[in-house]
Amino acid sequence: MYPTKLNKIIRLFETLPEDERRETIVSYAENAKKQEPRKNEQFDLVDVRKDEECMDTVGVYLHVDENGKAHIRMTLGPEVQTLTRAMAAILCKGLEGCTPQQILDLPSDFVTRIVGAELVRIRSQTIYYVLTRIKGICKVYLDRQRMAKVA
Amino acid sequence: MATNPTQYAHPEALVETDWLEKHLKDEGIRIIESNEDVLLYDTGHIPGAVHIDWRADLQDPVIRDYITPEKFAELCSKNGITPDTTCIFYGDKANWWACYALWAFRLFGHEKVKILNGGRDKWKAEERPMTKERSSYPRANYPVPRKRFDKEIRAFADEALAQSKAKQPLIDVRSPGEYKGEITHMPEYPQEGVLRGGHIPGAKSMPWKTATNEDNTFKSAPDLAKIYFDQCGVKPGTDTVVYCRIGERSSHTWFVLTYLLGLDNVRNYDGSWTEWGNKVGAPIEKGA
Repeated sequence: MYPTKLNKIIRLFETLPEDERRETIVSYAENAKKQEPRKNEQFDLVDVRKDEECMDTVGVYLHVDENGKAHIRMTLGPEVQTLTRAMAAILCKGLEGCTPQQILDLPSDFVTRIVGAELVRIRSQTIYYVLTRIKGICKVYLDRQRMAKVA
Repeated sequence: MATNPTQYAHPEALVETDWLEKHLKDEGIRIIESNEDVLLYDTGHIPGAVHIDWRADLQDPVIRDYITPEKFAELCSKNGITPDTTCIFYGDKANWWACYALWAFRLFGHEKVKILNGGRDKWKAEERPMTKERSSYPRANYPVPRKRFDKEIRAFADEALAQSKAKQPLIDVRSPGEYKGEITHMPEYPQEGVLRGGHIPGAKSMPWKTATNEDNTFKSAPDLAKIYFDQCGVKPGTDTVVYCRIGERSSHTWFVLTYLLGLDNVRNYDGSWTEWGNKVGAPIEKGA
């Protein structure tokens, strides 16, 4: 149901007690910088913006390789909250190598399985933001592909 | 305790970062971090600080209200806090949520409360020590508060309406766009289900952040007096009600008026715009 890499992450989080779950989320957040674009990387689409759902600018960078696999990078402004940072790192890793269509079709219920019921209860508004942004860029990419074919 | 007293009515309600670093291990104090970013404490905090979350720890999980006195006693007891403990609050966003937590502690009658001037951002900017080690203290026995001080420091919708009708000081501390009714949530934050935009008739607009300097410390007493006495019409001896969207930003202004300017009759309408803007028949003014 979920891509293999993402499924591994989900299963890891589900086995963790609450304290360790939070530690692991923080650890992902602290490593979010590793998901930034690297020097000389080229992208098919770049979507850098600041919108009201988030405290600071979030950039999503999409490259689709010759095999149709998506590679996502993200940049996060300094005010972006810890949970959002963590989701960025988790999703960049977990969705690496999926096709844009697979990403678009992904059900969002896994987010709560990673974050846990308590964090969902107290900060439900922030947890889906990164997934929405990633799905958004994939949708634009697919729409453009379809339009190019029609043309 | 404040090392930089400025003519505040209650300078003892503030501690400076320099003072706190030298007194981290003092007996009888508890440093409490309260943030908007729910995981920020976990990324590193002032050594010895405990974490109290405004939503998870201070609000009832079902009803829109605060926890019961029994739960407050339990929250304090598990963090080693007694009624004699001096609670020093700090947090992100210029202490906005720290002031909210402090106000909630006052709601239960805890009197020994202070704010770390400049909050978490100033502490971090000054490269003072941080740790990831979770602090724990021997359990205390906090007696269940006999009452909640709703009447003294909290206003409800009917009281905010009475304040409006009596043309008494009412301060809207939200952003100008929210006050004017152009938007129904604060900029950069998601919509939280408010059906109508605008402000309570007669309310003066004074965004909460007006009270702070660039480094998130509070402005001097003369500057605060100009803002609130001269521009908002607040004066000693007159009831004042402050509100925002859910009562968090207005807790910051409540702290300024109560502790820094020394007014003893300020109440926070924590139902705020998410209640007023949804309330059938509530009068609303739009525009500046």
